[in-house]
Amino acid sequence: MTTPTTPPHAPAAPIVRPHAQVHFGVFFQGVNHTTIWSDPESGSQTDLASFERVVRTAERGLFDAFFLGEGLRLRETRGRIHDLDVVGRPDAITQLAALAAITQRIGLVATQNTTYHDPAELARRLASLDVLSGGRAAWNVVTTDNAWTGENFRRGGYLDHTDRYERAAAVLAVARGVWDAFPDDLAGDVARVSVPGADLRTPRDLALDVSTPRSPQGHPVIFQAGDSPQGRDFAAAHADVIFSRHGAVLADALEFAADVRRRVVAAGRPGDDVKIFPGTAIVVGDTPAEAEEKARWVRRAQVTPATALSIVGNIWGEDLSSYDPDGPLPAHDPVVAELGGERGSATTGARTHEVARQWRALAEAENLSIRELVVRNAGERGFTGTPGAVADALTRWVRAGAVDGFNLSPWIVPSGLDDVVEKVVPALQERGAYPTAYEGTTLREHLGLREPLTRRARGRSAAVDADSEPTLVPTP
Amino acid sequence: MTTPPTPFVVGLDVDGAGTHPAATTVAGISPADLVSAARLARTVRRAENAGVTFATFADALLPAVAGSPGSARLDAVTRAAFVSRTTTAIGLVPQVPTTYPEPFHVAAQLASLDIAAAGRGGWLAATTRTPETAAAYGREPADDLAREARDVVQVVRDLWDSWEDDAVIRDVATGRYVDRDRLHHVDFVGETFSVKGPLITPRPPQGQLVVLAAAGDVAPSVRDEPLVDVALVGGPDVASARAAARAAAAPASGAADSAARAVVDLEVVLDADGRPAGARLAELDAAAPAGARTDWGAGALRYAGDAPGLAALLGELAASGDVAGVRLLPAVLDVDLPALARDVLPALRAARLTAAPRAGATLRETLGLPRPANRYDTRYDTGHREARHAAPRAAATA
Repeated sequence: MTTPTTPPHAPAAPIVRPHAQVHFGVFFQGVNHTTIWSDPESGSQTDLASFERVVRTAERGLFDAFFLGEGLRLRETRGRIHDLDVVGRPDAITQLAALAAITQRIGLVATQNTTYHDPAELARRLASLDVLSGGRAAWNVVTTDNAWTGENFRRGGYLDHTDRYERAAAVLAVARGVWDAFPDDLAGDVARVSVPGADLRTPRDLALDVSTPRSPQGHPVIFQAGDSPQGRDFAAAHADVIFSRHGAVLADALEFAADVRRRVVAAGRPGDDVKIFPGTAIVVGDTPAEAEEKARWVRRAQVTPATALSIVGNIWGEDLSSYDPDGPLPAHDPVVAELGGERGSATTGARTHEVARQWRALAEAENLSIRELVVRNAGERGFTGTPGAVADALTRWVRAGAVDGFNLSPWIVPSGLDDVVEKVVPALQERGAYPTAYEGTTLREHLGLREPLTRRARGRSAAVDADSEPTLVPTP
Repeated sequence: MTTPPTPFVVGLDVDGAGTHPAATTVAGISPADLVSAARLARTVRRAENAGVTFATFADALLPAVAGSPGSARLDAVTRAAFVSRTTTAIGLVPQVPTTYPEPFHVAAQLASLDIAAAGRGGWLAATTRTPETAAAYGREPADDLAREARDVVQVVRDLWDSWEDDAVIRDVATGRYVDRDRLHHVDFVGETFSVKGPLITPRPPQGQLVVLAAAGDVAPSVRDEPLVDVALVGGPDVASARAAARAAAAPASGAADSAARAVVDLEVVLDADGRPAGARLAELDAAAPAGARTDWGAGALRYAGDAPGLAALLGELAASGDVAGVRLLPAVLDVDLPALARDVLPALRAARLTAAPRAGATLRETLGLPRPANRYDTRYDTGHREARHAAPRAAATA
């Protein structure tokens, strides 16, 4: 059967924040198979007009943030460029700078990799976006270690897997130093930033003078998306917002939130210091049946026969394009044990035999073909229903303390957000569960965040030497 | 006087308070105003309204004066991208160094600027001589800047072509969004780095952004491919600037910019606000901070005087036939740009020496440069692929 479970409506959870508001971000993904390009409604993935339409729609819907991803090498399948998904996207900070000029309030989030960006340059570019947007910039910190991506860069694949968060912490330490360097009154001297051992490739220290003042929000907001224990600890120590994967099952989201809060408190911060925004999708219809029908159509369109064979072939480690997508999974086991990064970070390191075993069990239990199985797997994500039912579910998630908001991925560009803004937002507002106007001007204000971490303890002093900031300095 | 086939080019640097190192101090601009979005948009709008062909955005990772809030400055590509949505005609040319940044990021950022600006993007490819910049990147100082610039410009050009224009096919019957045969690994191997490709960003609207560089900054291509479209030249007087322009544009010179158009860098201090240019310049020089990293006085031609004199000089340069245009480096933007807009540029347009760029035109169209064929498109024999494989280089030592 391919009917999705719609778990958001199911379990009851105690309301712990009866007046909490739902918040939205939008993730313009740019690379994936969930953006349907085959529909006549689908527009360009790269024209500025597509980005303009989505960001203007989101701002009309009072969204907190517009979010861009980053991938530094085109995905490949067994040495050939993957050709089934939307692909090709602009540099995030450059694109967001253009969008900053045509928007007034919405936050602008750039995903940037700590492994393959130079910290001084990255910190300066983020600060530039933050100043020009009047305090609306954010950085989604991602890490990678794979040498395959490194083939596009001067340094190549220089980083061990275990060092990637150490590098990320070092890059963030440099960035905080850059963002703290200017005196508040702009009258005294700009401090020099010095971070010992910031470059993990060499023993050289990193030292620089700074030219970028702070924006009205102090620092760009820090997002983090890693889900491993190491990633969660990094978020607990450094991030303002977690872009989580726990946006499908309320019980799972509650467990994740409790785990994150434990880690945040252990890191010496208030438990509510880190906001949680799972990635998710919304499908609405005028009736429950219409919504379900639309959701089924969306999932079928996302998983074309070629995409289904490619996704299964990726786990099996071989070309399955001659298989029947409406037939059963391969009878033999995968030929590789673990996946590399060639098909994106979400599947990196996956244990293929374990995945294959689970898929086979599910396919046999529910009598699913290859395509039905992939559709079934994709179906366990998102909110489907009438605008009112979806609004109720979203409100319940937020007021139960599972999440602070949702980062929505439209399944079609550029019209995919229209239903949310025209139908779900008003339903939420009727319930008193959504703002009716932007109250602040900065992203930090939209999200209800405190001051940047390094600007609390030191009482807005401008000291930047990372020696005085031991939690941000990597251990040698 | 004969009208040149392409109008005489008038570029303008719009960075900060002006090109003179004391511009911020003398103009009395606060650090917050210096980097404000409002000031940036207003300045570039003024330049566009004055009929300026392209704006350059001078930049460096490190401030001109270490520790001084008056040296506040934002990243050039980010500034150019911001004003891409507040302008419609003027070319937008950020200065981006070739010496330390990652060429892959540079290529993606500039391609993205060109997309946002609908084909009005350019690149002032610069070199970085300060050893402090190496320390800011945690690296050893580069030893051969011109060779590094050559490799970086070359791979950026390769990456801009790594998507063919029609790579996105949306073939519903086969489920293919792109034709992978129209996406290309560039497999570039330079002296100090290598890049696999293709770029993450599709081919920019102009195919290749317009590349500007100071004459001599970029070593000749090993593939006999022109790397620089517009060479910036200078000199202590008009005769030497014209000679430098002839040298930079001479096809037989064998230099990478041998096919380039020559544009003269011209520092400008005008009589303004009832004060003669000489007095203004003396005041600026007296206020210049010690030890500032600055290009002022580093070799550009300079004009200090009244507006008719500048118009006459520009007319002389245009009539010489040696020079495709000028890039004006105003001592103080808020003083010299209004004077240029009111008293100098209208006279040149009236004489049909110059023409304001057309709204919606690409920078290549404005400059009379063709949109280049893609080096990886097998329908064209550009010679570049063969040349690359004929000249393998030592593997990168990263």
